[in-house]
Amino acid sequence: MASANSLTQFIDLDFDSIKNNLKTFLRGQDTLKDYDYEGSAMSVLLDVLAYNTQYNAYYLNMIANEMFLDSSVQRGSVASQAKLLNYTPSSSIAPQATIILTMSGVTDASLTLPKYTNFLSEPIDGVNYNFINPNAYTVNVVNNTATFENVVLKQGRLSAFNFIVNSTENPKYIFEILDENIDTTTLSVLVQENSTNTTTQIYNKASDFLTIDGDSLVYFLQEGNNNYYEIYFGDGILGKKLKDGNIVKVSYISTEATLSHGANTFYLMDTVGGYSNGLVTPISEATNGVQKESIESIKFQAPKNFAAQNRAVTKNDYMTLIQQNKLGITFDSVSVWGGEENDPPLYGTVFISLKPTGAYDLTTTQKQRLVEEVIKPISVLTVTPQIVDPDYVYVQLTINVYYDPNKTTQTSGQIQEGIKQSVFSFATNTLNTFNSTFNSYTLLTYIQNYNPSIITTDYEMRLQKKFYPNLSVATNYKFLFNTQLQKGVLTSGVGSSPGLTFKDPLNPALEINNIQIEEYPSLTYGVESISIINPGFNYQSTPTITITGDGTGATATATISAGSIRSVTVTNAGNNYTSAIATVTPAEGDLTGQLGALVVNLEGRYGTLRTFYNSNTAVKTILKQNVGTIDYNEGVVTLNSFNPIDIDNPLGNLTISVKPKTTTISSTYNRIITIDPYDSASVVVNVIAQPQ
Amino acid sequence: MLKTSLQKIYSDIDFTFARQPGKTVKDLALSYDDKAVIRSVRNLLLTNHYDRLFNPDIGSNISFILFEPLSGSTETSLEREIRTTINNFEPRVEIESVVVNTDYDRNGYNVTLTFYILNATAATVTTLFLERTK
Repeated sequence: MASANSLTQFIDLDFDSIKNNLKTFLRGQDTLKDYDYEGSAMSVLLDVLAYNTQYNAYYLNMIANEMFLDSSVQRGSVASQAKLLNYTPSSSIAPQATIILTMSGVTDASLTLPKYTNFLSEPIDGVNYNFINPNAYTVNVVNNTATFENVVLKQGRLSAFNFIVNSTENPKYIFEILDENIDTTTLSVLVQENSTNTTTQIYNKASDFLTIDGDSLVYFLQEGNNNYYEIYFGDGILGKKLKDGNIVKVSYISTEATLSHGANTFYLMDTVGGYSNGLVTPISEATNGVQKESIESIKFQAPKNFAAQNRAVTKNDYMTLIQQNKLGITFDSVSVWGGEENDPPLYGTVFISLKPTGAYDLTTTQKQRLVEEVIKPISVLTVTPQIVDPDYVYVQLTINVYYDPNKTTQTSGQIQEGIKQSVFSFATNTLNTFNSTFNSYTLLTYIQNYNPSIITTDYEMRLQKKFYPNLSVATNYKFLFNTQLQKGVLTSGVGSSPGLTFKDPLNPALEINNIQIEEYPSLTYGVESISIINPGFNYQSTPTITITGDGTGATATATISAGSIRSVTVTNAGNNYTSAIATVTPAEGDLTGQLGALVVNLEGRYGTLRTFYNSNTAVKTILKQNVGTIDYNEGVVTLNSFNPIDIDNPLGNLTISVKPKTTTISSTYNRIITIDPYDSASVVVNVIAQPQ
Repeated sequence: MLKTSLQKIYSDIDFTFARQPGKTVKDLALSYDDKAVIRSVRNLLLTNHYDRLFNPDIGSNISFILFEPLSGSTETSLEREIRTTINNFEPRVEIESVVVNTDYDRNGYNVTLTFYILNATAATVTTLFLERTK
């Protein structure tokens, strides 16, 4: 007979391979020879054996897959793996709207809007959604009218279940909530003593296991194997244990989540204190709903949540926990850094900058809620979280595109519009986040890939800051562009838009319109570099370099090689030099070194900003000689005591634009580089036909 | 030394899974050579397509043909199906003749199959009665 060693391959899962393996095994014996003929009884038996093997192997393979978070596909398995990482997949979250409810014809002194009063929304995609108020409101009636201000409505219907505790049937006290649409953030759990004793206690969701003891009124939440949420209770050591006969009363909002987004008209469906004459005025539309967490999201979030251990310590902890916030705010990008990286450093503060989805900034309420409800409970005690608004740097591009009209059927107008859209998709894909880089190669690739007829492209780039100046109040402003700026040579590198209105300094009763800001390279210079005109000889050790002139602060060091000065490095450029000389002094005790000679190259590090206008006779007139400064090296523009009385722009924002020295611009900390899609001047495309 | 005993070329288990007769060893009964081949041919003819797991080609279409009216043309179809099946799946057999006769009284077909088993000098004849059962 064959030895077991004949069957050497255990790796196959395929039916034919398994059958071939069995045949290989049978080749080693001569009792049964017909196994290879399909009609033989042995062949039929081999089929059965191979099928059985394959069935078991496949089944085991699937079980093995479901045992790991990476490979499991069943939601129940994924949720179970996530449970080991102390992660509860998030449920749907009901969208929220705010309204004012005005009840007229009320004859009582006060009126209460009870919890869970039903409202109906306007149709969204043909469906009217039910909204309810999770909180009760009471107001005094004035002139027979009761006005409920800022009533928060949540989309969904109230669902409630009662479970009777029976340790024989349910020894683990696990209660399954058979509703896939539950919003677990609205879950309320009450436990009534028994059917005769109606004493009821409120149980809260367990969050911090350190504070829980055997008497804590807590429940635990998990997602069970059947994709439904389950609540379960303590064992008398960690959380109070239930008793037979207790009645667990569960209520929550069952929501259609994001489907009702945008609903902004509501109708009162119930009576309020017997009155039905209610008028609903919307304040904010239904928004911030969240769909139930997907399997992919659980797989992604659970390990990261575990790594953070529900504590915000490292930079990534903050980022993960903020992204996972249960407030229904989603972010395109999150940036976190420690205050010690600030200039000047601010120890003990962690700075958080957030770019919310679909908006530029967070509202003050959103910031407060994030700090109080999301960050503070999990951050280290002595660390103060501070949310700072993103600092947007807008890129303005003037693009010249040369194309061959013989190679395309598109008109120049179509190419122009197409390239504009390519530039915006470049911005969407590569910019708009913290820690992104504006890369000219990528931009040109986007443009070049738009149409094969494009021969070449060049572009000019300006950086813009937009802000709302205080009108008529002298205020100092500082704009950090964080890149070296180009000094204007023939035309000003700095510009402002739109026109400003200032009081005429000569006659304050008069106003001058259409005033702009421009740069005026000033006479304050620093030392840019030092050239060697004579390296000297016989220096024993590094000589000292002294810079003297009408400015202050410039320092430099030399390096020597074979007794001669090889290079000079400027360690501090200094300020306010209009002329300077550098002298070489041999080090103390060096009696032989001589003849080293240097020349100082000065650079204009600073410029001044001034305001000007064109008078009635089109004569350029300077209004004020010094309204601010520009630091070309650090990329800082400041406006001092800036007090326009009006801005020629209905939105009231002013744009300051500068020319960067390089076209590769990176953003760090709370800076975001973006191209404003709402500004028609942000991308200007000139299309030039150039037949080849 | 000359080997006198007849060497068995083909050997297969028997579908009846009977005990080997007349032996003290408790083992399955086996069929050998022509018996094994005939059994194999019968198995093939009586297996429908898709009966065998992962191998739908194996088998014949005979049970479906039996639902055709009793006639000469059905005889021809049966004969062709039997030849195709054996040629496809039973390489040990070279068919000499397939004779299908309609038995109107018993509502079926008598099939006489004459073939040579490779390496055997004498032809093997087997008969089958094919009738529809449901």
